[in-house]
Amino acid sequence: MDGKGIRIEGLKKRYGSGDTAVDALKGVDMEVAPGEVVGLVGPSGSGKSTLLKCLGAIIEPTAGRMTLGDEIIYDGGWKVKDLRALRRDKIGFIFQAPYLIPFLDVTDNVALLPMLAGRPNPEARRMAIELFKALEVEHRARAMPSQLSGGEQQRVAITRGLVNRPPVILADEPTAPLDSERALAVIRILNDMAQQFETAIIVVTHDEKIMPTFKRIYHIRDGVTYEEAGEGRAIA
Amino acid sequence: MISLAGRDIMHSLGKFVFTGMGLGLLIGITLSMAGIYRGLVDDGKALLENSGADLWVVQRDTLGPYAESSSIYDDVWRSIRGLPGVARAANATYFTMQVRHGERDVRAMVAGITPGAPGTPGWPPYLVAGRQITRGHYEAVADVATGFALGDRLRIRRNLYTVVGLTRRMVSSGGDPIIFIPLKDAQEAQFLKDNDAIRQQRERTAANPAFNRPQVPGLLEAVIASQSTNLYVNAVLVQMKPGYEVEETAQAIRRWKRLTVYTRSQMEEILIGKMIATSARQIFMFLVILSLVSAAIVAFIIYTLTLGKIREIAVLKLIGTKNRTIVGLIMQQAVALGAIGFMVGKITATLVMAPIFPKYVLLQPLDSVIGFGAVMVICMLSSIVSIRAAMKVDPAEAIGG
Amino acid sequence: MNRFPIQRRTLVMLAGFVPLIALFVYVALRSGALAPVPVTVTTVENRPVAPALFGIGTVEARYTYPIGPTYTGRVKRLDVEVGDHVEAGQVLGEMEPIDLDERIRAMEAALKRAAAQIDEARARHGYAQAQARRYQRLLEARTTSEETVTTKKNEFQIAAASLNAAQEESVRVGAELKALIAQRESLVFVAPAAGLVTARHADPGATVVAGQAVVELIDPAQLWINVRFDQINARGLAADLPAHIVLRSQAAESRTGRVLRVEPLADAVTEETLAKAVFDELPQPLPPLGELAEVTVDLPPLAAGPVVPNAAIQRIDGQLGVWRVIDGDLRFTPVTPGVTDLDGHIQVRDGLEVDDEIIVYSAKALHPRSRIRVVQRLTEVKP
Repeated sequence: MDGKGIRIEGLKKRYGSGDTAVDALKGVDMEVAPGEVVGLVGPSGSGKSTLLKCLGAIIEPTAGRMTLGDEIIYDGGWKVKDLRALRRDKIGFIFQAPYLIPFLDVTDNVALLPMLAGRPNPEARRMAIELFKALEVEHRARAMPSQLSGGEQQRVAITRGLVNRPPVILADEPTAPLDSERALAVIRILNDMAQQFETAIIVVTHDEKIMPTFKRIYHIRDGVTYEEAGEGRAIA
Repeated sequence: MISLAGRDIMHSLGKFVFTGMGLGLLIGITLSMAGIYRGLVDDGKALLENSGADLWVVQRDTLGPYAESSSIYDDVWRSIRGLPGVARAANATYFTMQVRHGERDVRAMVAGITPGAPGTPGWPPYLVAGRQITRGHYEAVADVATGFALGDRLRIRRNLYTVVGLTRRMVSSGGDPIIFIPLKDAQEAQFLKDNDAIRQQRERTAANPAFNRPQVPGLLEAVIASQSTNLYVNAVLVQMKPGYEVEETAQAIRRWKRLTVYTRSQMEEILIGKMIATSARQIFMFLVILSLVSAAIVAFIIYTLTLGKIREIAVLKLIGTKNRTIVGLIMQQAVALGAIGFMVGKITATLVMAPIFPKYVLLQPLDSVIGFGAVMVICMLSSIVSIRAAMKVDPAEAIGG
Repeated sequence: MNRFPIQRRTLVMLAGFVPLIALFVYVALRSGALAPVPVTVTTVENRPVAPALFGIGTVEARYTYPIGPTYTGRVKRLDVEVGDHVEAGQVLGEMEPIDLDERIRAMEAALKRAAAQIDEARARHGYAQAQARRYQRLLEARTTSEETVTTKKNEFQIAAASLNAAQEESVRVGAELKALIAQRESLVFVAPAAGLVTARHADPGATVVAGQAVVELIDPAQLWINVRFDQINARGLAADLPAHIVLRSQAAESRTGRVLRVEPLADAVTEETLAKAVFDELPQPLPPLGELAEVTVDLPPLAAGPVVPNAAIQRIDGQLGVWRVIDGDLRFTPVTPGVTDLDGHIQVRDGLEVDDEIIVYSAKALHPRSRIRVVQRLTEVKP
């Protein structure tokens, strides 16, 4: 890989110690190439959230190796000093709910990320508005989050995940609040982004509406993953 | 980088300003309390300042003339006047009583001043309207705190006095406004009673066979006449010539057996240390309690504001916001709240509390500066509690499940 | 495009906060110790000062006659009441004579007895004189002894002395009778001059001692006011100065009068100068004696000179002076005050020129470094 994509080998995560220890992840292997959009499916309690948090460098795994592009970010211990910078620059997040900052307008909500990365304010805002155009929300650029509909907010949240052009995007149930037309639109956008910017996107979901669109799906059960080929249906 | 604190404030500006105003009222009351304390001390000092005296000569072993009643003969001043170093010596009487004007009754301290010219010890040092007393009887200079105006006729005991001049901040140590009248009228008012009592006294004297002797015509009249004169004043006020030691002259007077002498600093100690000590202590305690309560409320408000944002803080952490930025968000809001609160408080204290409070409220710039500093420190310290809560937030909570 | 909404937001914020900040700055600078002191100013005027003296006095009668007995006794009757006008020589009352009438009668009888004794002595004297002459003739005829003649001459001398004694006794008794009669007359109270009865101190039947006044008369045409002036404010008091008199019961009316005289003896205890003032025209009805009166004596006015209101004069660091405003700066100027009138205008002998600007009223005590703000009228003073 050339600075993009993500690979996990033998990732383990244990909560607690001694008798009360719980092994949430018992050796997960996963690989997502640049430009790929894969699904991650699993029942609750399967370790899905734990895996996502490890992928997002939010919690520290117990063992294993994580590689981001060419960089090994975890190998038995964090190999990167500034995790927050890692998250800011290399990993994009799309949550179940938009979680927009209510006191910033929509543009600044998204432009916040490039600003945190050091870009000057006008440039950051330009980057945000560019993406708004792609997601057809640029007409809401000056509005406050509370003035947007649920779907518009979600689209803005998606741009927030994309704005820094991170190599990896983790999306947690991005389509759950959306109807099927919007849901497919979101997946379409993700696919477009992935192809355009060679982003590796992992979509945690159990939304039946979008399942057919994945070419590859990872199932996770009892702390271990199984790969499965998906339908890979194209989106209209 | 945009100012997160500024954006948050702008977004909920109403709530923020409203909170700031509420906090401001609390700070305003605390500042006013400090002002009342200072006003209390100033009341005590104003009396001494305005009398213009360097020494007070009073009855032996009394704390008079303000803290305790003191009576000395009204010709004592003549002997004091002759001492080396004494530039001026003047009699003075002080008596707190109700003064009537029409239907209204005002509690005031009636001060008797020796006849003379402006600049005599005991005379009001400056006026805000009218003129100083020129006639030897039945004229008065009143403080504006009494509510009287030029030309009003006041009733003090049996006589009517015309207000010819007005003063400001001439108050007794208890905060009662002062009314200056000629000494002889004041002596009569203080030591002679009303008509009823005088009549009774005459009857009693006439019934006493020792005074009512038929072989000695004129004896009864002479005795009654002596009962109607008053030979006492409350104090002699002394002004020193420049270049002379105040304490030396005081010692010279003290060597006489019947008098006690106080210098300005000793009088201050009596007035402030003894007379207003209790009230001052009470007010000071209130001040401390109010400050603590204010601090607690500020901390509570800031904590609540932060907790209300805990979700956003988690998201910010998740998307990579530095700790420093989040700390700045909380602390800047706390400081802004404190600043608004202080401004509202100072304005409230000066424009609302000070004019309507019945006692003198003295708001000093130093107190405001200290108050501002205290408010800022309290805001920053209370934001620390909130910052700790914010730091403890796990960004992972942003991701459900 | 980006700028504009931000501007609007900032404008809204400023619109809200600017008044607050402005008010805060105003409060900080204008009140409390940083604020300039409001003062009123006036210019030194050039005008004459009409000084006057003010004193309080009581209405008294110039001539008072206390009438009473010269002996201790009982009052028999009083013919006058308080308020009666009496003429000179009018009988006002009488004391009990007690035994005086009897003593007079006894003395009259004694007088008669003395006269009889004179007759008797005269008879004896005539007889002794005749005998002495007869025996002298007998001696010349040598029919009697010399011893007998000597005896008869002696008897004649004794009879002459007895006659003398009886005559003197008669004179003595006559004088005593006159004394008793005079005493009797003194029991009657007679008005020494025309006047008004102001007091009755005893009623008929009361015992009074010698010298005690039973009735008091005054001359109502001669009332004066016994006035007291504070010594420190009595400079220039002299007889014949015009005066205004206001009686306490008639506070609205001011009457004219003059100073009759200044008493040579002042009151050392109360430190007051005493004087007598009289009305030009006695008020009718007469004011009661003892009523208080306010007397204002007009002194001759002084020529025009620099005059300041007495409210402007202060004592700073032991010196009397006024605060001058020179080019907006505050400066304390020592002055020598001169004469004052009763309205508070003091003539300045030294230290100020006419048209100098001075401070009259200030809301706080002034210091050389005070900042001042000139106003028309201080806010605490109601119009």
